[in-house]
Amino acid sequence: MTFSDDRPTMIEFKEVHKYYGDYHALRGINGTIKAGEFFSLLGPSGCGKTTLLRTIAGFEDISSGVIMIDGKDMASVAANTRPTNMVFQSYAIFPHMTVEENVGFGLRKDPRSKEEKAKAVAESLDMVGLKGFGKRAAHALSGGQRQRVALARALILKPKVLLLDEPLSALDKKMREHMQVELIKLQRQVGITFILVTHDQEEALVMSDRIAVMFDGEIAQLADPETLYRRPATKKVADFIGTMNFVPADILSESGNSVDVDAKGLGRVTLDIAQAPVKSGDSPVVGLRPETLTLLYDDQKAPERETAGVIDEVIYFGDMTYYDVYLGGTDVEVRLSMRNVPGRPVLDVGTKVRVAWSPSALVLFR
Amino acid sequence: MAATPGSEARTGLKLISPTAIYVILLLAVPLATVLIYSVMTGGRGNVSFPVTGENYYSLLNTKGGGNLIDYFAKGMPGEDPDLTFLKWIWNGLSNAVYVFVLLKSLMIALAVTLITVLLAYPVAYFVSFHVKPDRKSLWLFLITIPFWTSYIIRVSLWFVILGYDGLLDKLLMSLGITNTQLNFSSYGVPAIIFILAHAYAPFAVLPIFVSLEKVDRSLLEAGQDLGESRWITFLRVTLPLSMPGVIAASLIVFIPTVGDYVTPRLVGDGKQPLIANFIETQLLKLQDFPQGSAFAVASMLMVGIVSVGFVLLNRRFIRGQK
Amino acid sequence: MKRAPLLKSYTIFYLVFLYAPIVLLPIFAFNSGKVVAFPLQGFTLDWFREMLSDQNLRTAAKNSLIIALSVATLSTVLGIFAARASVRYRFPGKVPLMGLIMLPLVLPEMIVAMALLVVLLSIGVPLSLFTVIIGQVLITTPFAVAILTSAFQSLDKSLEEAAMDLGETAWGTFRLIILPLVMPGILASFLICFTISFDEFIISNFLGSGQPILSVYIFGQFRFPAKVPSMLALGTVLVCMSIILLGFAEYFRRRGIAKAGGKDSGGFL
Repeated sequence: MTFSDDRPTMIEFKEVHKYYGDYHALRGINGTIKAGEFFSLLGPSGCGKTTLLRTIAGFEDISSGVIMIDGKDMASVAANTRPTNMVFQSYAIFPHMTVEENVGFGLRKDPRSKEEKAKAVAESLDMVGLKGFGKRAAHALSGGQRQRVALARALILKPKVLLLDEPLSALDKKMREHMQVELIKLQRQVGITFILVTHDQEEALVMSDRIAVMFDGEIAQLADPETLYRRPATKKVADFIGTMNFVPADILSESGNSVDVDAKGLGRVTLDIAQAPVKSGDSPVVGLRPETLTLLYDDQKAPERETAGVIDEVIYFGDMTYYDVYLGGTDVEVRLSMRNVPGRPVLDVGTKVRVAWSPSALVLFR
Repeated sequence: MAATPGSEARTGLKLISPTAIYVILLLAVPLATVLIYSVMTGGRGNVSFPVTGENYYSLLNTKGGGNLIDYFAKGMPGEDPDLTFLKWIWNGLSNAVYVFVLLKSLMIALAVTLITVLLAYPVAYFVSFHVKPDRKSLWLFLITIPFWTSYIIRVSLWFVILGYDGLLDKLLMSLGITNTQLNFSSYGVPAIIFILAHAYAPFAVLPIFVSLEKVDRSLLEAGQDLGESRWITFLRVTLPLSMPGVIAASLIVFIPTVGDYVTPRLVGDGKQPLIANFIETQLLKLQDFPQGSAFAVASMLMVGIVSVGFVLLNRRFIRGQK
Repeated sequence: MKRAPLLKSYTIFYLVFLYAPIVLLPIFAFNSGKVVAFPLQGFTLDWFREMLSDQNLRTAAKNSLIIALSVATLSTVLGIFAARASVRYRFPGKVPLMGLIMLPLVLPEMIVAMALLVVLLSIGVPLSLFTVIIGQVLITTPFAVAILTSAFQSLDKSLEEAAMDLGETAWGTFRLIILPLVMPGILASFLICFTISFDEFIISNFLGSGQPILSVYIFGQFRFPAKVPSMLALGTVLVCMSIILLGFAEYFRRRGIAKAGGKDSGGFL
């Protein structure tokens, strides 16, 4: 999961803007994507992630700014000559061709002999697990098979960058989870830079080396999955990725490397400056992930801090139970998750409880 | 790939230009010419200045040198006790040659439209609701075939059947029902309506069928579930939902029938000229370009107004559904 | 399906009404009586022989064929341009231009014919088969555009992008992807324009300067009772031709849908 940052840059965005008439779809995109990286563009629909992907492919011109691929400015390079290939959301399998003809489509102008091309097609199909499917008619394929054909068709051209536009959204849950793992393996095997567009935060976290979270045409945060999850830069990012409890807080004092806050229901706590990375103008709140909170049973002692509370809601999930708890006689409610292990009963609504938490797991948004 | 608005517009315009130039030169320019001719002065075979509204005023002329405006402005003469108000209006209109042809064509076309749509609705309903899905295409195919067979032959065949001493006359006479030739085809307006209603019948089925197909079947079940009878469900759900199709069908039948040339030429030896025949007389036989153009423009206007009326009606129904 | 005997009998009655005149065609085309009347006399092929030996009819049929082939080709080509532009691109003046192209659908044909005739006469273009062709193209192009628009619409835009993405040029994409996928629509458009042109009367009559054209010729011949049986023979042939052409058009349409992997959703228009 960790990604060494010393790899060379594959794609670089410099102040990329895109307008559709009056609509400002991309509002100054900056950033780099490294060679061989599995990179995801994550965001809600309409955030500009697909537009950004299509500007890389060359299907959309940019209004201003620069997109460099492998050190070359793409401004005057048409889609059909860019070193990128794309797997479309609808897969765009040519319905009037066989699987073989689809996969070999991009080789039409390849100077290699017919036999060599056929071999390349067979290898490519083999790679995506469709050995022997070459003669099948394209319209007789299942969703998962279509996706594999689309992958084989794009990868056969050995692009520098493979673009994937929500490739898993049309598949059912089981198939999707299966394909996530396959895509990761495939990417490791071919070593090509993958750029995945998705609105599914779980998918992005599972698959990516790094993720750019986008809202309203801007990159809100670009980081590896763990940083994104543990240290989201803004409340919006925190809210979009996983579940996060927000507790109103007052900032008491701030020094060079720490911040003192008074969080409602939790009390005074000193945070490392790394836990409060960005000032975005939000009214101050501290965020806690449900799994960083623990209910204390009987005479268990909290390793760091504890706060009294009352259970307001119990949601039973089988392996887990979620509790909504009012903190310390306030109206601040937090959700926490407990694993249902033997000997740990599910508690009732109204039960008075003690909640253990750790100051280092907090994030301050301000 | 066209992406910026400017280049997309250029590509689109370039692509449409052959077709656009074709229709501009061969349709827009001729129609504009007719429009210009209609306000010119002219005689046989030529047009000249000055520009005038006279041709449109002349459309209201009545036989014997009068004008419909004067006729109505004078008011109803009081001396004749047999003259009712309706008769007075009728006398005026039937004497105004141009107006009468326009109104007669309109009435005939509307009658044909009404008959065609009424006859077609149950057929479309049957195919949509009572035919198995895999058999629907076959039924539609059967219904559309007559439309794709030569219109001239279909219309002419009616004269073999309905004409003087035709099949119908022979049948009736041999059965002893009548001993003279009935010659239904000489019956003017009813014959025209009958033949046109037959000729355009298949046109009406398809749009109604399409709109019936779109009716959500669960709505009907819901209606009956709520205790409504099948007939009430039809009136309250199916019929309103299929109105866009009914109106489309009306439009599709109305436009060609109002401009039909062949049937009025054949029926009653062409003594019942409709718009198309009248335009032919004015522009080709009399070579009265300005007057003929004014009449053509007036008929276009009439067709346009009725069509827009249908479209507005359709909008109302579509909005009503939302 | 619920049974609806009343509706079904009505529909069958309606079909009988629709077909009433048409069934007379084969009946009397093969009837040896000189007059069209029951009872039937006997079986004969004389009327077909008379039809085939009619020199004027052969010229008319040849002219109609020339016209219909040219009209179908020209209006399908014009239809491809217009339909592709309207489905795929946004450009200024799109609505009025498409409106103008589709206008003949809502205009009495006589007005189109006369307007064109007035202009042709005033600029001194002699009437000929050519003037019939350019006039009929105005009438058939809206049908071509309607059929081709739905063909282009059912084409997934990402298929084109995929071809470009895989290195094809715009022309290569059109030739290898778009054209094969809309080919059924093109064929259907061609066949339907052909059929409409072949039957068309008003423009053939007024823009043809008396050249023998099939529909005009038939119209004239029906006035002579002696000619009616051979016209019925001709009608029989034309009906069979229409059904065959329509069968082809429907076949191509369905194949197109199957190719694109879609579901059948009804018939023509």
